[in-house]
Amino acid sequence: MTAGALFVIVALAAGLGIGVISAGFDRILTARLQSRVGPPLLQPVYDVVKLALKEPLIVNAWQAFCACTTLAAAILAWVLFFLQSDLLLVFFVQAVGAVFLVVGALAAASPYSHIGAHRELLQMLAYEPLLILVFIGMYLETGSFRLEALFAWPKPLLLRLPFLFLVLAFALIVKMRKSPFDLSSCHHAHQELVRGVLTDYSGPLLALAEVAHWFEVALILGLFTLFWPDGGVGRFLLPVAAWLGVIAVDNLTSRANWRWMLGCAWGLGLGLAIVNLVWIR
Amino acid sequence: MDVRVCGILVVVLAPFAGAALCGILGRSPSGRRAVVLTTGGVVMLAALSLLGEVPFRLEIPAVLHAPLEIAFFAADAVLLAAFLYIGAKYRHAAILVLSFLQAAGLLVFKGFLARSAGPPGGVVCDALALLLVLIVSVVGSLICFQALPYMDNHERHYRVSPSRQPRFFAILLLFLGAMNGFVLFNDLGSLYVFFELTTLCSFLLIGHDRTHVAVKNALRALWMNSVGGLAFALGMIEAYRSAGTLDLAQALAAPRLEGDAIYFVALALFGLACLVKSAQFPFQGWLLGAMVAPTPVSALLHSSTMVKIGVYFLLRLAPGFPGTFLGQALALAGAFGFLAAAALAVGQSNGKKVLAYSTISNLGLMFACIGVNTGSALLAATLLLTFHAVLKAMLFLSVGAIEQHIESRDIEDMRGLYAAMPLTAMITLAGVVMMIFPPFGVLLGKWMAIEAAARHLPAVVMIALGSALTVLYWARWAGTLLSDPLGTRFHAERQPLLTWLALGSLCLGTAALSVAAPWLVEGGMASIGQPADETAYTVVRGGLESASGSFAVLPLSLAAACGLLLSALALRRASRARPVPPYLSGLQTGEAAVFRGPMQQPVRVAARNYYLDTLFGEERLNPWVNFGGAILLTLILGGVL
Repeated sequence: MTAGALFVIVALAAGLGIGVISAGFDRILTARLQSRVGPPLLQPVYDVVKLALKEPLIVNAWQAFCACTTLAAAILAWVLFFLQSDLLLVFFVQAVGAVFLVVGALAAASPYSHIGAHRELLQMLAYEPLLILVFIGMYLETGSFRLEALFAWPKPLLLRLPFLFLVLAFALIVKMRKSPFDLSSCHHAHQELVRGVLTDYSGPLLALAEVAHWFEVALILGLFTLFWPDGGVGRFLLPVAAWLGVIAVDNLTSRANWRWMLGCAWGLGLGLAIVNLVWIR
Repeated sequence: MDVRVCGILVVVLAPFAGAALCGILGRSPSGRRAVVLTTGGVVMLAALSLLGEVPFRLEIPAVLHAPLEIAFFAADAVLLAAFLYIGAKYRHAAILVLSFLQAAGLLVFKGFLARSAGPPGGVVCDALALLLVLIVSVVGSLICFQALPYMDNHERHYRVSPSRQPRFFAILLLFLGAMNGFVLFNDLGSLYVFFELTTLCSFLLIGHDRTHVAVKNALRALWMNSVGGLAFALGMIEAYRSAGTLDLAQALAAPRLEGDAIYFVALALFGLACLVKSAQFPFQGWLLGAMVAPTPVSALLHSSTMVKIGVYFLLRLAPGFPGTFLGQALALAGAFGFLAAAALAVGQSNGKKVLAYSTISNLGLMFACIGVNTGSALLAATLLLTFHAVLKAMLFLSVGAIEQHIESRDIEDMRGLYAAMPLTAMITLAGVVMMIFPPFGVLLGKWMAIEAAARHLPAVVMIALGSALTVLYWARWAGTLLSDPLGTRFHAERQPLLTWLALGSLCLGTAALSVAAPWLVEGGMASIGQPADETAYTVVRGGLESASGSFAVLPLSLAAACGLLLSALALRRASRARPVPPYLSGLQTGEAAVFRGPMQQPVRVAARNYYLDTLFGEERLNPWVNFGGAILLTLILGGVL
């Protein structure tokens, strides 16, 4: 029992750590690319603590319900990943969090959060099928959806599933709401929607949503580790490489509209995934 | 008398008796109420009493053979005569031709081919049949109960006089009897009679309101389902020619010869009949048109009767599919239906239409599973069948209650529903959540379906795309239900007791069944379709495990319950916090959703959902999906020749 509790605590700490470092480095790296110094690494933590201590201002009480569910689902998905459960199950649980964030935004009357919510739904429409196909590819190669078996797979999946790796990186851009797919919300107000889906979440509720996002990013980055067998340095390098790629793309491209995004995901992403799936079958 | 004989007699005959009584006593509201409640209660109890008894087979005693044969033949004649009469009355050529062909085929068959068909095949009640009997009897009866207050309101609203409710409830009960008969009888000839009886019932119910559009849509349902009826009749004749018997269990158990084309012709024809009954593309029109009827009719057609015939019968025939081209084609057609209907649902703002497309979509997924035909795929189909039936009944009944309250079925008009009817809004929200999220049964079925179809590349790609679209249209609806303005305090609205009974028991029932899913699988669901398979699921620590995956149902349910509790506490706290208006670029006026526009004029904020009709509208997609459906149908039928 204590071992189990300890395990969950380690999992939570790891998720938080990965999420914070990802967010912190992102801001530093982006600042340097734009010839700024940027904030300290732990700035995201300071931000969240500050938000959490503010007075709750409530636009629609259901937003509290939704923010709470979003965080709970994001944590549960990460813990299930850490416990080496079923890959598809982890995916379905994280979808609960993503959907409730949108539901909360739709509950508020502000057109900004409304449009942001619908764009977030379109972003989900773009990355969800891609993620499922990545998992299908892993299953076809290893014969299992269990993370236990996938983590123990002796051969580098990257060599057999290179296109699916790219597809997963594509999904990471959308999931991290990075340019060119920062339609629903973005730090830089590029999309002229204030903070899009997050507009009406404020104070402690925004802190909950922010922490949930850390866990979500940690989860997707975790998926990249599956592409390399245990013991290799690749297991660490692959997520880092994908992450760097996403930041680079973020700084090199400008925002696309949702039609273009959907076209990209369902055309290019799906095409790459199918080619790879046909080839390993 | 034996509990088995007694139970079977009651579930099949009591609805017929109730229908007859409804015709006699139904004039008075209390008499009608008594008849419907008693019949429903008795049928429910009888169905439940069969729980520990399966599987069993009852032979019909020899003295009854001749009278039964005459009775079924007479019923056939009456049904086809009724169809011909309807066709003549409304001058509908398709109905006339299709009914005439059925009548001619049947006469030739009974008169020349099947003179020595032997005794009727009795009653077979295995796990699959019992599951369907339970769905029909329990969910169907609950729908009839809720229909009692609903129809009173309905007639008051449309000022119907004299009341046409006796007829309405008689047909509703008749429908339940026909379903139970179809599910339990084992003789193809009797199945055909019940099959046609459900067609007639759905025609009468869809046209119940007698408006121009109701009659038009009822006729459409009749001609489309007559295509299914003709396919069923031809399939029956082919099956008799190739297997030499009308006994379904025997015909399926008969050894299959290599390249035995006729056997496949029969299966393909039955497949066509099932696709029509389950409103798969290009036959979706009849089910979409059915929503003109009073909402309990939609609830009945979409959940426990009619469309489930197709899935049930294909599950029954599932042992005939492994390794055949027919199975492959069916998997493709099903997955296509899942994707196409989900895309069409995205383009709809009419709540009932979203529910209708979601039904077609889910049925497509079930067909895909039956086509894939591994043990786990069949189990996925069974789980989807069960949970979809219960949930869809609940969602239709909720939308019916909402519609009578706000006088609209448009999702846009359900903004702020939580303030107007909080409990119904909550139940609808629960329905949406149970449709798309773990650990609930529908998602368990979908999880199993994806894992089972993983090696069927075209199908699994379509399922992946369809799942994402499904999440989109449900999430949008959930958000709308909770949107502003909110009431200050939770006051459950007033609804008739029977409405709360139906909604509450269906909602709690789905949740309870979801938690119990692993044990349902262990307790008999796994035996449906075909018994032995390498990827059978075992129950480990309250979860389902197979060789390639695991779904921790019970632990996840506990986690979900904890999450729900925490979120509910957060909601409670937030309701007491300082309320602020939504963000409007700092231009708010004193009122929440009003901002200062040009010339300092107040402007009310308006936001509408995305329905993306340039991409997903019916006008845009219909030609493509009908074309795709027709191609795949040709594949199913043409592939066997």
